[in-house]
Amino acid sequence: MTMTQSEIYQELKKCVKCGACMAVCPIYRQTGREEMVARGKLNLIEIIHNNRELPEAWIEAVDHCLLCCSCEENCSKEVKITEVIAAARIHQTEIKGLNKVKKGAFALLKNRIFSIAKFVKLGSLVQWILWRRLPRHSGLVRRLPLPGIDENMVVPILPRRNLDDILKKRKINPQLPSLLFFPGCATRYLHPQMGLDLIFVLEQLGFNAIVPTEFNCCGMVTWGAGDAATNTQLKEGNLKVFNDNAQVKTVVTGCASCGHALKEYDNLPQECEILDISEFLFRHKEKLEQLVAGRNLTRKITYHDPCHLRKGQGITKEPRWLLKLIAGENFIEMRHPERCCGAGGTFGLTHKELSRKILKEKTDAADATGAEIVTSGCPGCLLQLTEGAVVADSSWQTEHPLSLLAELLRNS
Amino acid sequence: MTELTEILQRQLALKLLKNGFHPEQVVTSAAALSCYGYDATRQQTEPMLALLPENEEQVKTILKIAGEKSLKIFPRGAGSGMSGGSIPTDDGIIISLTRMKQILEIDEENMIATVEPGVITGELQEEVSRCGLFYPPDPASLAFSTIGGNVTENAGGPRAVKYGVTGNFVMGLEAYLVNGEKIKCGNKCIKSVSGYDLTSLLVGSEGTLAIITKILLKLLPAPETVKTSLLAFASMSAAARAVNAMLKHQINPSTIEFLDHHSINAVRSALPFTLPEAADTVLLVEIDGPDALVKAQSEKLSRLFQDEALVLIEAKDENEREQLWLARRKLSPAIANIAPHKINEDIAVPLAAIPEVISRLEKLSQEIDLPIVCFGHAGDGNIHVNVMLDKNDPAQAIRGHKAIDEIFAITLELGGTLSGEHGIGNTKSAYFSKEWTPATIATMKAIKKAFDPGNRLNPGKIFPA
Repeated sequence: MTMTQSEIYQELKKCVKCGACMAVCPIYRQTGREEMVARGKLNLIEIIHNNRELPEAWIEAVDHCLLCCSCEENCSKEVKITEVIAAARIHQTEIKGLNKVKKGAFALLKNRIFSIAKFVKLGSLVQWILWRRLPRHSGLVRRLPLPGIDENMVVPILPRRNLDDILKKRKINPQLPSLLFFPGCATRYLHPQMGLDLIFVLEQLGFNAIVPTEFNCCGMVTWGAGDAATNTQLKEGNLKVFNDNAQVKTVVTGCASCGHALKEYDNLPQECEILDISEFLFRHKEKLEQLVAGRNLTRKITYHDPCHLRKGQGITKEPRWLLKLIAGENFIEMRHPERCCGAGGTFGLTHKELSRKILKEKTDAADATGAEIVTSGCPGCLLQLTEGAVVADSSWQTEHPLSLLAELLRNS
Repeated sequence: MTELTEILQRQLALKLLKNGFHPEQVVTSAAALSCYGYDATRQQTEPMLALLPENEEQVKTILKIAGEKSLKIFPRGAGSGMSGGSIPTDDGIIISLTRMKQILEIDEENMIATVEPGVITGELQEEVSRCGLFYPPDPASLAFSTIGGNVTENAGGPRAVKYGVTGNFVMGLEAYLVNGEKIKCGNKCIKSVSGYDLTSLLVGSEGTLAIITKILLKLLPAPETVKTSLLAFASMSAAARAVNAMLKHQINPSTIEFLDHHSINAVRSALPFTLPEAADTVLLVEIDGPDALVKAQSEKLSRLFQDEALVLIEAKDENEREQLWLARRKLSPAIANIAPHKINEDIAVPLAAIPEVISRLEKLSQEIDLPIVCFGHAGDGNIHVNVMLDKNDPAQAIRGHKAIDEIFAITLELGGTLSGEHGIGNTKSAYFSKEWTPATIATMKAIKKAFDPGNRLNPGKIFPA
């Protein structure tokens, strides 16, 4: 996914400055600033190309990108904008180094001794000192004033046992055909129930989900932060797992960003196919329709398109088919489901105010549907949407479509 | 930037910050400023300062402060113009109106919207449609261009055949003169003849007369139905006769777009339906209005052309409609494959002159040995002429330049105009005196002087240097 200098130059030359990116950029929509939209960013990157002196405006512009791919989807010249931005961030990291917080966080992703798993476990013991459970939503907010964290910032409840722990004693049925399940960090460490839901649904369909504990982070977050070295290391680790399991051709994931990242890997084993869970289920449409057998959830549901699913992988019809299957007439589209929610990996943490403005439009659209549940196929979006519900004092819950499906199938 | 302008820039920025501007609204760094010095014409200049006011008071403050130093002012919307209207041709201040994007009112009873200039045209359309209303002007850039830009360039679009251009929908304006005084013109009255029609004067004035801060727009009830058809003809003159016949038979399409044979060849392979080799000109026709009327007119359309048209496809649903429009939408990227660069002009001619223009441009194309691709709005005579070339080849660049001279000469000879919807800006100002007599230009300049005696508002546009 990392471009060479001459490839970047070719991309920059393709932009004709028509301005179509302005129609869809969530950051431009809020700021109205030309240097914050793809056309302006490409212009800045072109001017400063290969330069070791990085002006403040350049850093600010390159930093102000959600990597939501909206501009790319709307670009008639097919400029690979997000890849250029990622390459610019790598350039910046090479010159200025990575900021300390990200450096520390990424160390957890690759360190086997003090791993993210241990960090989360430790956190699960002490989280209650500083954080309290939300009364109406799944998540935590601060108890006391904390630097850089406002009263509405939602963090996930850290579970004592992660997905790997829970699956240790799992018995699998060797008769069933197998596929690999790439849970991604959020599912693996923060929401293991989501992983169990996915495994359960696959079993119902007659598949065995293998979940190798050797999987790394997909690398999306390091790629987005310009940490090329860590990104490569994480990818190589995952490729090794794919190769070690080369007899299994299908890899499914329930995380839009992981799916997007994995599909962009250069050296996937031959015939290895990465699928978002909604794509996989769509391929087994008849079987799943039989399983659901016309039953519907009775709560009203709406759906937010995760950018990395819609714009990153071009997946729009499959999740909607799934939601209509489980909710029937109770599935209602919100206005502009395609617009980014403002999470953008760590963007929501580093640019709180702007991210909240983007989020506000999303929660307004969700409110207007009267839905009781807002769904999205991305753990990052789900956390952001939960925060949106807290900020807006909305009562709707957030769920992965797959968890709703599992609920429906379990209750039969 | 010279040292002197740098000092001046710092002084101005400080003064604005003292006057309540947020640092985000004051762009001073050279790198960021480079992003306010281009538009869709790909010219690149460097303004000395870019300001993003959020309300009319701030526009007034900018004009007052700029006035103290007699600085030049360049208003800017989305910067998506096709004639360089927003390009800062000289040292000066950019006023970017993208943050003034409130829809102030949708008056459903009078069917009038009041908006700030930075409102995105497509977003206005979306909002009014939620009230069952309709804002028809549809420039190709409507998803990102601003109403302010549409008004000052008097943008058109495919629906101009039936509904007219942006100017036909502007009921009134509020604007600031260069000295910081506010003028108001027009109102919500359908009939309004009190004094000079300053509204019409400001429409299409390309930001040279005043900074528009509020716009009253006429709305219509949303049409019940839209029916789209695609017709292919064996020649341009057959297609032109068809357009004429449609209008004479009281078929009143909202849109009649045409593609010439170069355009057809460029998109043919990308289309989900087949077009015969013999198809020389394609017409894309849309009829909108009440269900019964649209049905009757569509039937008449089929009846009239069932023999002459080589192909006649009617879209049965939204999906098929989108497929027919693909022919038009895929065009711009598709013709980019003909040659690396294009020079794009948007001439307009009287309806009857279309076949003549097309055949003379065909001949011109052979003479200068460069492909000339034509498409556009057959129902209103507005033709997008694209000279395809490789600008890196000096010989081609010279021939391309010569072609543009010729294109304008042919257009004017046939009673046409330099621009149907893009405006003159700074890219066509050199040809301006070919279209208008010295006395006409002098009158326009006198008007400019009355509004802006110091020539500080968007200088270097429209008039030849």
